[in-house]
Amino acid sequence: MPLNAIDSLALSHFLLTGAVLFCLGLIGFISRRNLIIMFLCTEMMFQGVAVSLVAFSRFHLNDTGQTFVIFVLTIAAAEAALALGLVVLLFRRKKTLDALAWSDLKG
Amino acid sequence: MEQHLEYALYIASVLGAISLSLMMPRRSKPLRFLGPILGAAALGGLWLFLSGSDFWADRETGLSGAGFLYYYVFSGISIAAAVKVITHTRPVYAALWFVMVVLASAGLFIVLSAQFMAFAIIIIYGGAILVTYVFVIMLASQPDPDGQSGQIYDKVAREPTMACAAGFLLLAVLLSLSFDPQIAAQPDPDNSDIALIGSTLGGRPIQPSARFEYDPQSELMVEAQPIPTPTNLDPARLSNAERIGLDLFRSHPLGLELAGVILLISLVGAVVIARTKVPDEHPPAPG
Repeated sequence: MPLNAIDSLALSHFLLTGAVLFCLGLIGFISRRNLIIMFLCTEMMFQGVAVSLVAFSRFHLNDTGQTFVIFVLTIAAAEAALALGLVVLLFRRKKTLDALAWSDLKG
Repeated sequence: MEQHLEYALYIASVLGAISLSLMMPRRSKPLRFLGPILGAAALGGLWLFLSGSDFWADRETGLSGAGFLYYYVFSGISIAAAVKVITHTRPVYAALWFVMVVLASAGLFIVLSAQFMAFAIIIIYGGAILVTYVFVIMLASQPDPDGQSGQIYDKVAREPTMACAAGFLLLAVLLSLSFDPQIAAQPDPDNSDIALIGSTLGGRPIQPSARFEYDPQSELMVEAQPIPTPTNLDPARLSNAERIGLDLFRSHPLGLELAGVILLISLVGAVVIARTKVPDEHPPAPG
């Protein structure tokens, strides 16, 4: 195990990168109006979680963290397929990708 | 000195929120050039907060090794590309910048010596999922109203200032809580999760039960021979992919089955959604 190369890097460095990616994805999901970009931002939140999980796995020398990333990838693939199908459906109905076009769903 | 580092975190969060809200797509773009400068300052402040007491008290322990440099390079690339994803006004370019986020994350995984996940994430995200996104972007594209620049909903964000404030508030709370040594270092044995589970559920250790299999000669169910486990599985000598495979199939067989079921259901669901007939509404496009 080449531990020495990484000794000077702490776990919190990678957790910081993961947290920043997650928060940037959250901001994009809240503030962008294009439905496709919104779901792209959820994929970016998955990326942040994956970075944190792999960092946990490396620093505890336990492979389960990387196994969880496989499950995260599975869920991300399923979510992308379903969400993009829904986006195409919504686009066919209103001919626009604007999320605000659906604001009448607020009731 | 601890107090100074807390201030570095808060100042970096505020700077990041300001820079991102300057860079978000808006109708009017005052001071937009300040955004990247402030963003770089915020990232520097966050790293200063991270390097922490080592950086101030004992310079000998930090900042050595090649992995350190690669971490900063890949992390900076991934965060900058993530900012481009959420601020770019053309969806195709946002998708391409997301490929850059994926590649930089794969670089981080290689720094963490998780080679299999690095390649898997490039193949699945950069290959499969991004192709789907680009395909849908092409499929759902509209003619531009004024002929040269994109749609209005790509060029004007919805409440960018409030979104940046909320997001960076979350970031500051996450970082200040999860990196607080006083919280992380003191597990309470009476109130820990394991004690709680033991007191409420009454854990039962899993007993290995005898397995039976069909014997075609005597046409009876006979006790099965135990499955021989390989003896040469020394974790230190296995490659990364082999260790992940062993962990996946040994420790999480149920999760693996459920993942297959979820993929099948989403496949069927995507086909059903795509074949649904929708009535055509043509409302006036809202501004």
